[in-house]
Amino acid sequence: MTNLPLIVEDLSFKYRDRAGAAIHNLTFEAHAGEILLIAGASGCGKTTLVRCINGLIPRSYKGELSGKISIFGEDVKDWKLSQISQKVGTVLQDPDRQILGTKVVNEVAFGLENLGMPRTEIVTRVNESLEFLKIPQLRNRDTFSLSGGEKQKVALAGVLAMRPSILLLDEPLASLDPASAQEALDMVRLLADQGMTILLVEHRVEDVLRIKPDRVMFMSEGQMRYLGAVQGLSSLVNYHQVKLPAEDVLARAKRDPAPAEIKVLPRVAGLGAEKEALVKFQDVAFGYEAGREVLHGVNLEINRGDVIAVLGPNGAGKTTFVKHAIGLLKPKAGKVLVDGRDTHSASVAEIASMLGYVFQSPSHMLFAPTVREELAFGPTNLKHAKEQVELEVKEALNIVNLTDKENDPPLALSFGQQKRVSIAAILAMQSRILVMDEPTAGQDYQNYMNFMDSILQMPTFEAILFITHDVDLAAIYANRVLIVNDGRLIADGSPHDTLADFEKLKANRLVPTSLLALNLKHFATTGRFLRAEALAHFNL
Amino acid sequence: MLAAWRYRKRENSLIQSFDPRAWIIFFVCFLISVLSFWDVRFLLPFLTIAFFAVFTSRVTWVEMRRAFLFIVSFVLFYAFLTFLTGRGGMEVYAQERTLREFTAGFSIFGWTPTLKITVERIFFAASQLVRISSIALMTILIPYSLNPALYGITFKRLGLSDKFAYAMDLTMRFIPTFGRDFQLTMDAQRARGYELEKLQGGLIGQVRKLGPIVVPVVIHAIMGSEDIIDAMDLRAFGVAPRTWFDELTYQKRDRVLMALGALILIVSLGLAMMGYGKFWTP
Repeated sequence: MTNLPLIVEDLSFKYRDRAGAAIHNLTFEAHAGEILLIAGASGCGKTTLVRCINGLIPRSYKGELSGKISIFGEDVKDWKLSQISQKVGTVLQDPDRQILGTKVVNEVAFGLENLGMPRTEIVTRVNESLEFLKIPQLRNRDTFSLSGGEKQKVALAGVLAMRPSILLLDEPLASLDPASAQEALDMVRLLADQGMTILLVEHRVEDVLRIKPDRVMFMSEGQMRYLGAVQGLSSLVNYHQVKLPAEDVLARAKRDPAPAEIKVLPRVAGLGAEKEALVKFQDVAFGYEAGREVLHGVNLEINRGDVIAVLGPNGAGKTTFVKHAIGLLKPKAGKVLVDGRDTHSASVAEIASMLGYVFQSPSHMLFAPTVREELAFGPTNLKHAKEQVELEVKEALNIVNLTDKENDPPLALSFGQQKRVSIAAILAMQSRILVMDEPTAGQDYQNYMNFMDSILQMPTFEAILFITHDVDLAAIYANRVLIVNDGRLIADGSPHDTLADFEKLKANRLVPTSLLALNLKHFATTGRFLRAEALAHFNL
Repeated sequence: MLAAWRYRKRENSLIQSFDPRAWIIFFVCFLISVLSFWDVRFLLPFLTIAFFAVFTSRVTWVEMRRAFLFIVSFVLFYAFLTFLTGRGGMEVYAQERTLREFTAGFSIFGWTPTLKITVERIFFAASQLVRISSIALMTILIPYSLNPALYGITFKRLGLSDKFAYAMDLTMRFIPTFGRDFQLTMDAQRARGYELEKLQGGLIGQVRKLGPIVVPVVIHAIMGSEDIIDAMDLRAFGVAPRTWFDELTYQKRDRVLMALGALILIVSLGLAMMGYGKFWTP
């Protein structure tokens, strides 16, 4: 028992500046060669647990810690962080927050340099790590020029070079396209098979189940609700909270009442089939530097009634493409027309009243002392009347489920809540078109499904466009799917036409999901794509 | 993630053919030497060296255009301001020989705007222009030419401790990171109808209205620093004397450059101590 890589006994922690304990009385152990999946909603205490094991708590994050963590039988209470970091490697959710080196080779060598290893040993270990992850070709690349998937592998290589026995992965798939996520998971399986103990914190439970984790821990409100075999999870957890394989949801949802029908874009419903182009891209080409084009001749119309999902691999040009719609980027060739007006001759602020744009990262926009003031900022800039602004703020708060946080400072909220504030800030502007860049990244399943449902039913929007890596989100919510790769529009059509072509999906680093497969199987009966709980009540 | 300056390896670049330590030492010698003089005749050779460094650096005009134009307009603005007001020059000259004098035909609260064109003002503005331009041109080359991967080892081998050397490395990369975050915040707020150019109200009111830009940028910088500290802690930074992966070795040309820098510095300081190179007019 004492030789187990990790034993956690009665562990509790309360952050110094927060009310209530973040985790309560956690007790478990992890074995060599085991993958332990840790699942749970945002704020359930997963990240706090990771910080306790890797030593950042209590060394960097102060608070009240009790209980015991033992690594190979030794209590780590008095260990230095350097000792722990040689046994426990940590890969964070966002590789951008972890990578320090400007070149890949420097990044991978960083931990070894800090341990004062001889240079020859560093070179050997760096090369081994890069070879193991099949990325030796990246060795001399600049880290900032890597794609999201490559960055995650480089961050992992930097940790593996220190040869830890325990690997903590804190939502490592969050910013990856489906194919990169699959590759990362395959690598995790390989590491476990070689004897490493892996604690994998992840929202995307369905994706992780593919690599057959040995056990699953389900956490809620800082407590462990379940620890055991994977099979037990499906019957225990609420399928509205955790995304489970579609077949499991289908089986369970039959016993529950049918979900309410979503009335998408009620403002344009029943207006007939006549198309009205709200945004037009005409032969749009763009490059950040002379001679290096990243968008090539894009032609596209966003029409009234469109709910468009934009899919594509990391670094495909999706964000560059949508930034043209609000005039933050101006085409080098061709033009973009928003409501008939060329973006070259309109300011971003002018376009903002027509088209609301939700940025990927909330931390770049939150500034106000309260959530209410944050939400009022946009509509006030657009000169909406004071009474109207109040109503708009209330409605937006309702949609993102933050009414109880109205008077809180946005910057003191959790990342998931900040993301919802950033979405609400744009919703409050009541623009006609809504554009969202990865709205669900960093959100737990239940929250993002709820706000996506609400946003689609908002009475103001005439068209919605969102960038996502989540194929299911595109299948369920969109009535039109675009695939962008290498700055080009690869596909543009109905979800069925676009997503049924598995070869095309594969070529663009997308991976079919169990829900997509289920929908395609029953498409002749349903005539559209539905979420699993809705399919359960269809006469299949 | 920390952003990087627009560095790239350039074929036949003179500055890049030297060890970064040698170039930094030469740069510091050059800087102190320039600051030793006010005589435009003594300063012109330094401007020539600076232009030589720029033209042999292989940094293209397109690459440095924005930074160059910003600095040129900044230098011209201040030199012109000094010329108009005569301020600053009074420390290096005591008397002025007036060439022309223009007096406005109106007064504001008893003050009549007057423009005096004097020999001293003209030469002081010219000296200032040459001085700042020499320094600016040499400085502008550094981010384009020094490999960011070598910042840390450069400062370490110049004698700084591990922690200071790495702190210098992070600081040099913080500047472009700050610029990138500023741009992202500007974009995010413009998308919410915010227009920086339409700020109204008094001075305090205008500063308050900068909040939507300043607060996220500052908070992001703080959060970014915390991430960096966590990432460093998790990989045992500062626990033992560090091995620096990259290695630097001086070549003969580096020694020649450092000797040249030292010679320029000694001669400049010597001349300055002997009273040469003070403000001069014909």
